[in-house]
Amino acid sequence: MTELERALVALGRELDIPPEPDLRSRVRERIERRVRYRRAAVLALAVLVVAVGIALAVPPARSAILRFFHIGSVTIERVDTLPAARERSLVAGLGPALSLRHAEKSSGVPLVLNAPKPRRFYAQPGLIAAVLHYRGKSVLLAEFQGDQMGLTKKFVSPGTSVEPAPIGSFGVWLEGGKHVLTWQGASGEIRQMERRLAGNVLIWAQGNRTYRLEGSLNKAEMLELGRQITR
Amino acid sequence: MGRPLDESDLIGRAQRGDTHAYEELVYAHQGIAFRTAYVIAGNAADAEDAAQDAFVKAWRALGRFREGAPFRPWLLQIVANEARNRRRSAGRRAHLALRAATEQPSGDAAPSPEASLLSAELRDALLAAVNELPEDQRTVIALRFFAGLSEHEVAEALGLPEGTVKSRSARALERLRESYD
Repeated sequence: MTELERALVALGRELDIPPEPDLRSRVRERIERRVRYRRAAVLALAVLVVAVGIALAVPPARSAILRFFHIGSVTIERVDTLPAARERSLVAGLGPALSLRHAEKSSGVPLVLNAPKPRRFYAQPGLIAAVLHYRGKSVLLAEFQGDQMGLTKKFVSPGTSVEPAPIGSFGVWLEGGKHVLTWQGASGEIRQMERRLAGNVLIWAQGNRTYRLEGSLNKAEMLELGRQITR
Repeated sequence: MGRPLDESDLIGRAQRGDTHAYEELVYAHQGIAFRTAYVIAGNAADAEDAAQDAFVKAWRALGRFREGAPFRPWLLQIVANEARNRRRSAGRRAHLALRAATEQPSGDAAPSPEASLLSAELRDALLAAVNELPEDQRTVIALRFFAGLSEHEVAEALGLPEGTVKSRSARALERLRESYD
Protein backbone atom coordinates (compact mmCIF):
# COMPACT_ATOMS: atom_id res chain seq x y z
CA MET A 1 0.00 0.00 0.00
CA THR A 2 1.39 3.39 -0.97
CA GLU A 3 1.54 6.39 1.32
CA LEU A 4 -1.39 7.96 -0.53
CA GLU A 5 -3.46 4.81 -0.07
CA ARG A 6 -2.66 4.75 3.66
CA ALA A 7 -3.65 8.42 3.84
CA LEU A 8 -6.99 7.59 2.19
CA VAL A 9 -7.63 4.81 4.72
CA ALA A 10 -6.87 7.29 7.51
CA LEU A 11 -9.17 9.85 5.92
CA GLY A 12 -11.96 7.27 5.80
CA ARG A 13 -11.71 6.86 9.58
CA GLU A 14 -12.18 10.56 10.08
CA LEU A 15 -15.17 10.99 7.84
CA ASP A 16 -18.43 12.17 9.31
CA ILE A 17 -20.23 8.86 8.88
CA PRO A 18 -23.09 8.51 11.37
CA PRO A 19 -23.17 5.42 13.57
CA GLU A 20 -24.84 2.50 11.84
CA PRO A 21 -28.56 2.26 12.59
CA ASP A 22 -29.93 -1.04 13.87
CA LEU A 23 -32.02 -2.17 10.92
CA ARG A 24 -33.11 -5.54 12.30
CA SER A 25 -36.53 -4.64 13.65
CA ARG A 26 -37.59 -2.61 10.59
CA VAL A 27 -36.33 -5.21 8.12
CA ARG A 28 -38.00 -7.98 10.08
CA GLU A 29 -41.27 -6.07 10.26
CA ARG A 30 -41.30 -5.52 6.49
CA ILE A 31 -40.43 -9.13 5.76
CA GLU A 32 -43.04 -10.49 8.14
CA ARG A 33 -45.65 -8.15 6.67
CA ARG A 34 -44.81 -9.58 3.27
CA VAL A 35 -44.90 -13.16 4.55
CA ARG A 36 -48.33 -12.50 6.14
CA TYR A 37 -49.56 -10.90 2.91
CA ARG A 38 -48.39 -13.86 0.83
CA ARG A 39 -49.98 -16.35 3.23
CA ALA A 40 -53.23 -14.38 3.07
CA ALA A 41 -53.05 -14.29 -0.74
CA VAL A 42 -52.42 -18.05 -0.93
CA LEU A 43 -55.31 -18.69 1.47
CA ALA A 44 -57.60 -16.39 -0.52
CA LEU A 45 -56.68 -18.19 -3.73
CA ALA A 46 -57.31 -21.57 -2.12
CA VAL A 47 -60.70 -20.38 -0.86
CA LEU A 48 -61.53 -19.07 -4.33
CA VAL A 49 -60.57 -22.37 -5.95
CA VAL A 50 -62.69 -24.31 -3.46
CA ALA A 51 -65.60 -21.87 -3.94
CA VAL A 52 -65.47 -22.20 -7.71
CA GLY A 53 -65.19 -25.97 -7.38
CA ILE A 54 -68.24 -26.09 -5.12
CA ALA A 55 -70.15 -23.73 -7.43
CA LEU A 56 -69.35 -25.86 -10.44
CA ALA A 57 -70.50 -28.95 -8.58
CA VAL A 58 -73.94 -27.48 -7.86
CA PRO A 59 -76.08 -27.40 -11.04
CA PRO A 60 -77.90 -24.04 -10.47
CA ALA A 61 -74.68 -22.23 -9.54
CA ARG A 62 -72.76 -23.96 -12.27
CA SER A 63 -75.38 -22.94 -14.81
CA ALA A 64 -75.15 -19.31 -13.71
CA ILE A 65 -71.38 -19.31 -14.06
CA LEU A 66 -71.41 -21.14 -17.34
CA ARG A 67 -74.23 -19.19 -18.94
CA PHE A 68 -72.04 -17.87 -21.72
CA PHE A 69 -68.41 -18.53 -22.50
CA HIS A 70 -65.93 -19.37 -25.25
CA ILE A 71 -63.51 -22.20 -25.73
CA GLY A 72 -61.29 -21.40 -28.69
CA SER A 73 -63.63 -20.93 -31.63
CA VAL A 74 -66.60 -22.49 -29.83
CA THR A 75 -69.20 -20.43 -28.01
CA ILE A 76 -71.54 -22.00 -25.51
CA GLU A 77 -74.62 -20.03 -24.55
CA ARG A 78 -77.56 -20.74 -22.31
CA VAL A 79 -80.84 -19.43 -23.69
CA ASP A 80 -84.39 -19.43 -22.37
CA THR A 81 -85.87 -20.91 -25.51
CA LEU A 82 -84.13 -23.40 -27.74
CA PRO A 83 -84.20 -22.69 -31.47
CA ALA A 84 -86.24 -25.22 -33.42
CA ALA A 85 -84.18 -28.29 -34.21
CA ARG A 86 -84.55 -31.99 -34.84
CA GLU A 87 -82.57 -35.21 -34.61
CA ARG A 88 -80.28 -35.54 -37.59
CA SER A 89 -77.16 -37.41 -38.61
CA LEU A 90 -73.89 -36.46 -36.90
CA VAL A 91 -72.53 -35.20 -40.20
CA ALA A 92 -75.62 -33.24 -41.27
CA GLY A 93 -74.67 -29.90 -42.71
CA LEU A 94 -71.01 -30.76 -43.14
CA GLY A 95 -71.18 -31.38 -46.88
CA PRO A 96 -70.20 -34.42 -48.91
CA ALA A 97 -67.75 -37.08 -47.74
CA LEU A 98 -64.19 -36.46 -48.99
CA SER A 99 -60.83 -38.16 -48.91
CA LEU A 100 -58.43 -36.95 -46.20
CA ARG A 101 -56.31 -35.10 -48.77
CA HIS A 102 -59.31 -33.28 -50.22
CA ALA A 103 -60.79 -32.52 -46.82
CA GLU A 104 -57.52 -31.01 -45.57
CA LYS A 105 -57.15 -28.96 -48.75
CA SER A 106 -60.76 -27.79 -48.69
CA SER A 107 -60.78 -26.90 -44.97
CA GLY A 108 -57.22 -25.59 -44.75
CA VAL A 109 -56.89 -27.61 -41.54
CA PRO A 110 -54.42 -30.53 -41.32
CA LEU A 111 -56.09 -33.26 -39.28
CA VAL A 112 -54.67 -34.23 -35.87
CA LEU A 113 -55.72 -37.80 -35.18
CA ASN A 114 -53.48 -40.26 -33.36
CA ALA A 115 -55.84 -43.17 -33.92
CA PRO A 116 -56.83 -45.40 -36.84
CA LYS A 117 -58.16 -43.05 -39.52
CA PRO A 118 -61.58 -43.55 -41.11
CA ARG A 119 -62.00 -43.38 -44.87
CA ARG A 120 -64.43 -40.48 -45.06
CA PHE A 121 -63.88 -36.90 -43.97
CA TYR A 122 -65.90 -33.69 -44.06
CA ALA A 123 -64.77 -30.13 -44.56
CA GLN A 124 -65.91 -26.56 -44.21
CA PRO A 125 -63.66 -23.49 -44.25
CA GLY A 126 -61.59 -23.72 -41.06
CA LEU A 127 -63.15 -27.03 -40.00
CA ILE A 128 -62.32 -30.67 -40.64
CA ALA A 129 -64.42 -33.54 -39.32
CA ALA A 130 -64.65 -37.31 -39.35
CA VAL A 131 -66.82 -39.98 -37.78
CA LEU A 132 -64.78 -42.33 -35.58
CA HIS A 133 -65.86 -45.63 -34.08
CA TYR A 134 -64.85 -46.08 -30.48
CA ARG A 135 -66.02 -48.72 -28.03
CA GLY A 136 -68.66 -49.76 -30.55
CA LYS A 137 -70.19 -46.27 -30.87
CA SER A 138 -70.01 -43.54 -33.51
CA VAL A 139 -68.37 -40.30 -32.45
CA LEU A 140 -68.07 -37.14 -34.52
CA LEU A 141 -64.64 -35.50 -34.29
CA ALA A 142 -64.47 -31.89 -35.46
CA GLU A 143 -61.31 -29.79 -35.37
CA PHE A 144 -61.26 -26.00 -35.77
CA GLN A 145 -58.20 -24.01 -36.61
CA GLY A 146 -57.91 -20.57 -34.97
CA ASP A 147 -61.08 -18.51 -35.12
CA GLN A 148 -62.02 -19.23 -38.72
CA MET A 149 -65.14 -21.12 -37.84
CA GLY A 150 -67.80 -20.25 -35.32
CA LEU A 151 -69.82 -22.92 -33.60
CA THR A 152 -72.60 -21.98 -31.23
CA LYS A 153 -74.04 -24.51 -28.87
CA LYS A 154 -77.27 -23.44 -27.23
CA PHE A 155 -79.09 -25.43 -24.59
CA VAL A 156 -81.92 -24.85 -22.18
CA SER A 157 -82.84 -28.07 -20.48
CA PRO A 158 -82.17 -27.94 -16.73
CA GLY A 159 -81.02 -31.51 -17.09
CA THR A 160 -78.04 -30.48 -19.20
CA SER A 161 -74.90 -30.34 -17.13
CA VAL A 162 -71.89 -28.29 -18.15
CA GLU A 163 -68.71 -29.03 -16.27
CA PRO A 164 -64.97 -28.49 -16.66
CA ALA A 165 -63.07 -31.39 -18.21
CA PRO A 166 -59.36 -32.08 -17.55
CA ILE A 167 -58.05 -32.02 -21.11
CA GLY A 168 -55.97 -29.59 -23.17
CA SER A 169 -55.56 -26.04 -21.91
CA PHE A 170 -59.29 -25.86 -21.10
CA GLY A 171 -62.05 -28.36 -21.62
CA VAL A 172 -65.79 -28.62 -21.04
CA TRP A 173 -68.11 -31.59 -20.89
CA LEU A 174 -71.82 -31.18 -21.82
CA GLU A 175 -74.19 -34.00 -21.02
CA GLY A 176 -77.92 -34.70 -20.73
CA GLY A 177 -81.04 -32.77 -21.62
CA LYS A 178 -81.71 -31.23 -24.98
CA HIS A 179 -79.18 -28.92 -26.57
CA VAL A 180 -78.91 -27.57 -30.04
CA LEU A 181 -75.90 -27.24 -32.27
CA THR A 182 -75.61 -24.45 -34.80
CA TRP A 183 -72.77 -24.13 -37.27
CA GLN A 184 -72.00 -20.59 -38.31
CA GLY A 185 -69.89 -19.07 -41.04
CA ALA A 186 -66.55 -17.37 -40.62
CA SER A 187 -65.52 -13.71 -40.33
CA GLY A 188 -68.74 -12.39 -38.91
CA GLU A 189 -71.00 -13.94 -41.52
CA ILE A 190 -74.16 -15.03 -39.77
CA ARG A 191 -74.73 -17.84 -42.22
CA GLN A 192 -76.52 -20.68 -40.56
CA MET A 193 -75.37 -24.00 -41.93
CA GLU A 194 -77.18 -26.54 -39.83
CA ARG A 195 -79.13 -26.81 -36.65
CA ARG A 196 -79.71 -30.10 -34.92
CA LEU A 197 -80.10 -31.72 -31.53
CA ALA A 198 -76.74 -32.83 -30.22
CA GLY A 199 -75.53 -35.69 -28.05
CA ASN A 200 -72.91 -35.69 -25.28
CA VAL A 201 -70.10 -33.34 -26.19
CA LEU A 202 -66.50 -32.84 -25.10
CA ILE A 203 -64.92 -29.56 -26.25
CA TRP A 204 -61.35 -28.57 -25.51
CA ALA A 205 -58.72 -26.10 -26.64
CA GLN A 206 -55.15 -27.17 -27.26
CA GLY A 207 -52.61 -24.91 -28.94
CA ASN A 208 -54.21 -22.97 -31.77
CA ARG A 209 -56.91 -25.56 -32.26
CA THR A 210 -60.31 -26.40 -30.79
CA TYR A 211 -61.48 -30.00 -30.70
CA ARG A 212 -65.03 -31.24 -30.40
CA LEU A 213 -66.19 -34.81 -29.88
CA GLU A 214 -69.87 -35.69 -29.99
CA GLY A 215 -71.57 -39.03 -29.43
CA SER A 216 -73.14 -41.27 -26.85
CA LEU A 217 -69.94 -42.13 -24.93
CA ASN A 218 -69.79 -41.22 -21.26
CA LYS A 219 -67.39 -38.57 -19.96
CA ALA A 220 -64.56 -40.95 -19.02
CA GLU A 221 -64.72 -42.69 -22.39
CA MET A 222 -64.81 -39.39 -24.26
CA LEU A 223 -61.83 -38.06 -22.31
CA GLU A 224 -59.95 -41.28 -23.04
CA LEU A 225 -60.64 -40.87 -26.76
CA GLY A 226 -59.83 -37.14 -26.71
CA ARG A 227 -56.46 -37.70 -25.08
CA GLN A 228 -55.67 -40.45 -27.54
CA ILE A 229 -56.44 -38.16 -30.50
CA THR A 230 -54.02 -35.43 -29.38
CA ARG A 231 -51.43 -37.71 -27.77
CA MET B 1 -26.40 -25.64 23.93
CA GLY B 2 -25.74 -26.10 20.22
CA ARG B 3 -22.89 -24.50 18.31
CA PRO B 4 -23.55 -21.04 16.87
CA LEU B 5 -24.85 -21.19 13.34
CA ASP B 6 -22.40 -20.24 10.63
CA GLU B 7 -23.39 -17.99 7.75
CA SER B 8 -24.28 -20.77 5.32
CA ASP B 9 -26.55 -22.35 7.98
CA LEU B 10 -28.24 -18.98 8.51
CA ILE B 11 -28.68 -18.48 4.77
CA GLY B 12 -30.12 -21.99 4.39
CA ARG B 13 -32.60 -21.37 7.20
CA ALA B 14 -33.52 -17.95 5.85
CA GLN B 15 -34.12 -19.50 2.43
CA ARG B 16 -36.60 -21.81 4.12
CA GLY B 17 -38.43 -18.79 5.53
CA ASP B 18 -36.78 -18.43 8.96
CA THR B 19 -36.97 -14.68 9.67
CA HIS B 20 -34.96 -15.02 12.89
CA ALA B 21 -32.04 -16.50 10.95
CA TYR B 22 -32.28 -13.64 8.47
CA GLU B 23 -32.31 -11.14 11.34
CA GLU B 24 -28.93 -12.51 12.40
CA LEU B 25 -27.61 -12.00 8.88
CA VAL B 26 -28.90 -8.42 8.96
CA TYR B 27 -27.13 -7.86 12.28
CA ALA B 28 -23.86 -9.25 10.94
CA HIS B 29 -23.85 -7.12 7.78
CA GLN B 30 -25.75 -3.95 8.59
CA GLY B 31 -22.57 -2.03 9.46
CA ILE B 32 -20.84 -2.55 6.13
CA ALA B 33 -24.16 -2.20 4.29
CA PHE B 34 -24.83 1.20 5.84
CA ARG B 35 -21.25 2.42 5.33
CA THR B 36 -21.29 1.30 1.68
CA ALA B 37 -24.61 3.05 1.10
CA TYR B 38 -23.37 6.17 2.88
CA VAL B 39 -20.20 6.66 0.84
CA ILE B 40 -22.24 6.28 -2.36
CA ALA B 41 -25.36 8.26 -1.44
CA GLY B 42 -23.59 10.86 0.69
CA ASN B 43 -26.24 11.34 3.37
CA ALA B 44 -27.50 9.35 6.32
CA ALA B 45 -31.22 9.26 5.51
CA ASP B 46 -30.69 7.92 1.99
CA ALA B 47 -28.04 5.47 3.21
CA GLU B 48 -30.36 4.09 5.87
CA ASP B 49 -33.25 3.71 3.43
CA ALA B 50 -30.97 2.14 0.83
CA ALA B 51 -29.56 -0.38 3.30
CA GLN B 52 -32.99 -1.25 4.64
CA ASP B 53 -34.49 -1.69 1.17
CA ALA B 54 -31.48 -3.75 0.14
CA PHE B 55 -31.99 -6.18 3.03
CA VAL B 56 -35.66 -6.56 2.14
CA LYS B 57 -34.85 -7.12 -1.56
CA ALA B 58 -32.11 -9.58 -0.65
CA TRP B 59 -34.65 -11.55 1.41
CA ARG B 60 -36.98 -11.74 -1.58
CA ALA B 61 -34.10 -12.81 -3.82
CA LEU B 62 -32.70 -15.43 -1.43
CA GLY B 63 -34.22 -18.20 -3.53
CA ARG B 64 -31.82 -17.27 -6.33
CA PHE B 65 -28.78 -17.03 -4.05
CA ARG B 66 -26.22 -19.63 -5.09
CA GLU B 67 -25.50 -22.10 -2.31
CA GLY B 68 -21.97 -21.77 -0.94
CA ALA B 69 -21.35 -18.32 -2.49
CA PRO B 70 -20.23 -15.50 -0.16
CA PHE B 71 -23.17 -13.48 1.09
CA ARG B 72 -21.44 -10.13 1.61
CA PRO B 73 -20.54 -9.23 -2.01
CA TRP B 74 -23.96 -10.37 -3.18
CA LEU B 75 -25.65 -8.18 -0.57
CA LEU B 76 -23.37 -5.22 -1.25
CA GLN B 77 -24.27 -5.29 -4.93
CA ILE B 78 -27.92 -4.80 -3.96
CA VAL B 79 -26.96 -2.09 -1.45
CA ALA B 80 -24.81 -0.24 -4.01
CA ASN B 81 -27.64 -0.33 -6.57
CA GLU B 82 -30.12 1.06 -4.07
CA ALA B 83 -27.72 3.81 -2.98
CA ARG B 84 -26.86 4.81 -6.55
CA ASN B 85 -30.54 4.93 -7.48
CA ARG B 86 -31.20 7.29 -4.58
CA ARG B 87 -28.27 9.49 -5.44
CA ARG B 88 -29.39 9.69 -9.07
CA SER B 89 -33.00 10.43 -8.24
CA ALA B 90 -31.90 13.17 -5.85
CA GLY B 91 -29.92 14.65 -8.76
CA ARG B 92 -26.88 15.58 -6.69
CA ARG B 93 -23.36 14.38 -6.12
CA ALA B 94 -22.42 12.72 -2.88
CA HIS B 95 -20.31 15.09 -0.82
CA LEU B 96 -18.44 13.52 2.08
CA ALA B 97 -17.35 15.61 5.05
CA LEU B 98 -15.02 15.23 8.00
CA ARG B 99 -16.25 14.72 11.53
CA ALA B 100 -16.42 17.91 13.55
CA ALA B 101 -14.47 16.14 16.31
CA THR B 102 -11.59 15.65 13.89
CA GLU B 103 -11.27 19.36 13.49
CA GLN B 104 -11.26 19.86 17.29
CA PRO B 105 -9.98 16.60 18.76
CA SER B 106 -10.79 15.84 22.38
CA GLY B 107 -7.86 15.56 24.73
CA ASP B 108 -8.67 11.92 25.66
CA ALA B 109 -8.62 10.36 22.24
CA ALA B 110 -5.19 9.35 21.04
CA PRO B 111 -4.88 9.75 17.29
CA SER B 112 -4.59 6.53 15.30
CA PRO B 113 -1.27 5.86 13.52
CA GLU B 114 -2.95 6.53 10.17
CA ALA B 115 -4.60 9.72 11.42
CA SER B 116 -1.30 11.03 12.62
CA LEU B 117 -0.06 10.74 9.03
CA LEU B 118 -2.37 13.54 8.00
CA SER B 119 -2.20 17.15 8.93
CA ALA B 120 -5.50 19.00 9.03
CA GLU B 121 -4.59 20.86 5.87
CA LEU B 122 -3.65 17.75 3.99
CA ARG B 123 -6.82 16.02 5.14
CA ASP B 124 -9.00 18.84 3.88
CA ALA B 125 -7.18 18.99 0.57
CA LEU B 126 -7.36 15.25 0.03
CA LEU B 127 -11.05 15.06 0.85
CA ALA B 128 -11.80 18.00 -1.42
CA ALA B 129 -9.91 16.23 -4.20
CA VAL B 130 -11.89 13.01 -3.63
CA ASN B 131 -15.17 14.94 -3.74
CA GLU B 132 -14.09 16.51 -7.03
CA LEU B 133 -13.33 13.21 -8.75
CA PRO B 134 -15.61 12.05 -11.58
CA GLU B 135 -18.47 10.07 -10.04
CA ASP B 136 -17.32 6.66 -11.28
CA GLN B 137 -13.80 7.17 -9.88
CA ARG B 138 -15.04 8.71 -6.64
CA THR B 139 -17.30 5.72 -6.01
CA VAL B 140 -14.45 3.26 -6.51
CA ILE B 141 -12.13 5.19 -4.15
CA ALA B 142 -14.87 5.62 -1.54
CA LEU B 143 -15.79 1.94 -1.54
CA ARG B 144 -12.17 0.79 -1.57
CA PHE B 145 -10.69 3.08 1.09
CA PHE B 146 -13.61 4.56 3.06
CA ALA B 147 -15.90 1.52 3.19
CA GLY B 148 -12.96 -0.87 3.35
CA LEU B 149 -13.98 -3.22 0.53
CA SER B 150 -11.42 -5.27 -1.36
CA GLU B 151 -10.98 -4.59 -5.08
CA HIS B 152 -12.86 -7.80 -5.78
CA GLU B 153 -15.76 -6.70 -3.56
CA VAL B 154 -15.85 -3.27 -5.21
CA ALA B 155 -16.09 -4.98 -8.60
CA GLU B 156 -18.90 -7.22 -7.37
CA ALA B 157 -20.77 -4.37 -5.69
CA LEU B 158 -20.65 -2.19 -8.80
CA GLY B 159 -21.19 -5.07 -11.21
CA LEU B 160 -17.93 -4.25 -13.01
CA PRO B 161 -15.01 -6.38 -14.15
CA GLU B 162 -12.12 -6.26 -11.69
CA GLY B 163 -9.91 -4.79 -14.43
CA THR B 164 -12.24 -1.81 -14.78
CA VAL B 165 -12.11 -1.21 -11.04
CA LYS B 166 -8.31 -1.37 -11.13
CA SER B 167 -8.06 1.12 -14.00
CA ARG B 168 -10.58 3.53 -12.45
CA SER B 169 -8.75 3.27 -9.17
CA ALA B 170 -5.38 3.93 -10.85
CA ARG B 171 -6.70 7.00 -12.69
CA ALA B 172 -8.27 8.35 -9.50
CA LEU B 173 -5.10 7.81 -7.45
CA GLU B 174 -3.10 9.61 -10.11
CA ARG B 175 -5.37 12.65 -9.79
CA LEU B 176 -5.31 12.52 -6.00
CA ARG B 177 -1.53 12.30 -5.94
CA GLU B 178 -1.43 15.78 -7.40
CA SER B 179 -3.32 17.07 -4.35
CA TYR B 180 -1.41 14.96 -1.89
CA ASP B 181 2.17 15.56 -3.04
